[in-house]
Amino acid sequence: MKKTVKKEDIKIAILRIEGTNCEQESYDAFKRLGAQPEFVHLKQLLNIDCKKNERRDIFQYQCIMIPGGFSAGDYIRAGAIFAARIKSKLQKKLIEFVKQEYPILGICNGFQVLIELGLLPGIDEIMSPVPKACLNINDSNRFECRPTLLKHENKGKCVFTSMIPKNDIRLIPSAHAEGKLLFPLDKQIEYIERMEENDQIVFKYVDPNGNYAGYPWNPNGSISNIAGICNYIGNVFGMMPHPERSFYKYQHPEWTKEGLNSNIGDGQAVFTSVLKYICRRF
Amino acid sequence: MKLDLEKLFLKKDVSFDLYEIDVFSADDQQLQQISDRMGLALSIDEMIRIKKYFQDKNRLPTDVELQALGQAWSEHCCYKSSKIPLQKHVYGIEEDKIVAREDAGVIEFDKDHYYVAALESHNHPSAIEPYGGAATGIGGIVRDVVCMGAQPIAFVDPLFFGPLDTPFENLPKGVKHPRFLFKGVVDGIRDYGNRIGIPTVCGQVYFHKGYVGNCLVNVGCIGILKKKMLIHSRAKSVGDVYVYVGGKTGRDGIHGVTFASSELTDESEESSRSAVQVGDPITKEPLIHATLECNEKGLLEGLKDFGGGGLSCVCGELAYAAGFGAEIHLDNVPLKESEMSPWEIWVSESQERMMFLVKPDNIKKVLHICRQWDVTAVPIGRVIDKSVIRVFYKGIKVLEMDLDFLTGGPVYDSCIRPFTLPLHPEEKEGYSFNQPEDLNEMLKKLLSSPNIASKEWVVRQYDHEVRGNTIIKPLQGVLGFETHGDAAVLKPLEDSYRGIAITADVNPRFMERNPYWGACSAVDEVCRNLVSVGSKPDALLDCLNFGNPEKPERMGEFYEACRGLGDMAKTLHLPFMSGNVSFYNESIQSAVPPTPQLMGIGIVEDIRKCITSYIKKAGNPLYMVGRKTLKEMGGSEYYSLLGLKNGRVPRTNAAFLKKCIDNVSLAIKRGYVASCHDVSEGGIGVCLSEMTIGGDIGAAVDISKTSEDSDLRSDFKLFSETNTRWIIEIKKEKQKDFEELMLKKRMFFIKIGETGKNRLVVTDKNETVVDLKLSVLREHWRNTIWNIMG
Repeated sequence: MKKTVKKEDIKIAILRIEGTNCEQESYDAFKRLGAQPEFVHLKQLLNIDCKKNERRDIFQYQCIMIPGGFSAGDYIRAGAIFAARIKSKLQKKLIEFVKQEYPILGICNGFQVLIELGLLPGIDEIMSPVPKACLNINDSNRFECRPTLLKHENKGKCVFTSMIPKNDIRLIPSAHAEGKLLFPLDKQIEYIERMEENDQIVFKYVDPNGNYAGYPWNPNGSISNIAGICNYIGNVFGMMPHPERSFYKYQHPEWTKEGLNSNIGDGQAVFTSVLKYICRRF
Repeated sequence: MKLDLEKLFLKKDVSFDLYEIDVFSADDQQLQQISDRMGLALSIDEMIRIKKYFQDKNRLPTDVELQALGQAWSEHCCYKSSKIPLQKHVYGIEEDKIVAREDAGVIEFDKDHYYVAALESHNHPSAIEPYGGAATGIGGIVRDVVCMGAQPIAFVDPLFFGPLDTPFENLPKGVKHPRFLFKGVVDGIRDYGNRIGIPTVCGQVYFHKGYVGNCLVNVGCIGILKKKMLIHSRAKSVGDVYVYVGGKTGRDGIHGVTFASSELTDESEESSRSAVQVGDPITKEPLIHATLECNEKGLLEGLKDFGGGGLSCVCGELAYAAGFGAEIHLDNVPLKESEMSPWEIWVSESQERMMFLVKPDNIKKVLHICRQWDVTAVPIGRVIDKSVIRVFYKGIKVLEMDLDFLTGGPVYDSCIRPFTLPLHPEEKEGYSFNQPEDLNEMLKKLLSSPNIASKEWVVRQYDHEVRGNTIIKPLQGVLGFETHGDAAVLKPLEDSYRGIAITADVNPRFMERNPYWGACSAVDEVCRNLVSVGSKPDALLDCLNFGNPEKPERMGEFYEACRGLGDMAKTLHLPFMSGNVSFYNESIQSAVPPTPQLMGIGIVEDIRKCITSYIKKAGNPLYMVGRKTLKEMGGSEYYSLLGLKNGRVPRTNAAFLKKCIDNVSLAIKRGYVASCHDVSEGGIGVCLSEMTIGGDIGAAVDISKTSEDSDLRSDFKLFSETNTRWIIEIKKEKQKDFEELMLKKRMFFIKIGETGKNRLVVTDKNETVVDLKLSVLREHWRNTIWNIMG
């Protein structure tokens, strides 16, 4: 017997610690679509320095999002500290959350956190005990803030891109210093093949003609031009570029030339897709 | 002699370092020595004044008291040289519009919101330690905006360095290479600004040999604020508790303000390193959250950031502004090092600190919010009704002074700094030369000159889109071909299409030749840029970077610049909502060119009507609008390229500019305009190049009739930097409407050509003077800074 959640009842935890800083626009993205996002500080989940009414549990939410930023300064390795703090107490609950097929989204720094947590790449397992990939320093050795074009390559597994037709090219901007996806050298080919078999590759960087291209179209030198991946179930998704920054057309770099039309930005579908998934699934 | 001075420092018999200084026995010379030795940077007159104050009190001052006076009376804190010229010219314009002017200025944005903005220099620290200096500059300016209760939404960073190809052997002793400084400053802004999640959306990068010995790093910040959340930097009532919030206090940043108020010397590296603070964005980011949350919940009575002068200035000014006093206990101040003496604690300028004033009933709630953000918060004192400040350490009173005396600062009414007005000897042309054969070559050289060339290397390192509100970005154009925009536009509110446009401008070459017209030109350029994106200029901010004010010529430049700014702003009805004066930008080699950096803020009624600077479509007509071109080559990039020093600096006329602002804005509002770019460095030639580079669409134009004197040489027509001009691409179908509007408004406008193809072709009287492929233009414009900085 399946009960359905209404969109207005979907609760999304926008998880943050010190140095998280894309939370407002991430919150806005869900809010604009009629869902109920809430800022949740990690300490509220860990029950540190909280009054009773401030405590939270991840199962109060149908979706967790880890937004961009520089959590804890990214001083050790991007996302490492945030991930370690989550893992210290929430590991079991998180595994259960994923097992029940609730969606988790990590953008930019959030993607780095999901990799550090071992929730991604998530090849045939929910959480690896040690990270199986890393998001390394860009080939340019610089922070890169630039528009990037992403080709949607997922065949239907990823619950965050179901509304985007396959092979569609989307303009979603990047802004990061550590976004080069790498696997252990000896496992590289194997992992990528397995991920392709599992339909875990979601977005790849392309040039305006839709070809896989090098810098600057691939802003970080990521292997196989990969910009975003999901786990083998399709409910944990991480990407380096920022769909919340292209929610509306007027956030696009070329809108003064192309016009606003319906004012739907290329990143909006990431949020509509997951809300649709939650409505159907839970 | 040295022994004598030693005798004047009397160690007190307490468990920590505390001295009384025997100013009573000191003669004038010794007073000066005391000031020098303690690093107070006070003059003999000021020391005598202090001596007299304590004679009246019948006791000797402590080292804590003298240090506090050194901070409070420094040029940086109380603007003793600049007050009079500023009052005469810059203050008092459209003052009604300004809701508050404290650490930042506050002006109405819409019926429920204010915008808040501040602009500051962080020059000397950046010259010594570029990374830390620039980063803490950002840290300081964002606190200025937050302490009004506002959410910061954007940074602006104008930077000035020596030429990047300066030979090492030409560097004065102790001076760092411009390339090192440029990289360090950009790294510092990037790492701090990006980490706290506020976009850096515009700025200026300028190279000139006058900045070799003393680079300039100016930082601006703008924020948005619900009207009812506005909070002031003053106490509300007696009994309010001072709550120290944020980072710990350390020995970094001691004497920062006195350091800023002296010239740089070859020993600055050694002697002043400790004056540069250490930035920590990951303490700052939650500090901003905690501060805004406490304010949002109505828990704060007063709020001020720790800037120059540290605790000393913050505690004094919060109380003094309300006519109250304060009692402060240093024992609870969180320290980075345990053995700090009380004067060090009192004047340290360590970063990432805010001072809250909180009602006793609300303390618990405030401490809870801060703890949740892992931000240190400690009550350290309270507001008292007598206008005096008392400071205690380990039970001993180490400072007690009347706030009128300490914070009021010396008034220099009777002590006007002498000044001599500049004579502008270089304004005369004084030479003739033939027009170069090949203007294609000249245009290519101009495009690749560092002041004109693409600043992409800088812009792409700053996150200019975080928060998702950057509607018009600093680089504009077809993907992969982006060009410079004139201004950035932000959409700060979720439920409104109203926007804020921001730009930053000044032309140092105009300034050094003629500070009056240079300042006027800066205002003109700010307005042109704001209009170009579809906004209406609303307010100005000024960061006045000048040399040593004790030198009459420097003071003369300052007077003339202020006069220029004031004359323009009065006619345009633009208030200076906030600003900052930075003197002593002078090294052994020379003073910097007078640099009144302006930041302009424009209001966009509906961001959906904004436009950008690059060509949109082939077949559209191109117009030049505004003023006809004059032979105004003084300070131009063209003359600089040719090594010519003289020439007349561009003039302007505020009333005429105002008319142009109104009418160009109207054409944009009515939807006639496809793209618009202001004409500045490099003249029409560079303006057209940038428009075509970004659109990846060429243009064919005829400049025969663009000049006042129709016989003006082609190179002057192309490269003169006459003010108040725009190049506008009109939508083909709106051509008639546009021309009718301009005729009706009696505007000068001339159709100069049409967009299309992939070349820029310029003719003058039937002769082709420029004919270049876009790919060639782009290559020259794009690569200069990349090639140098890698």
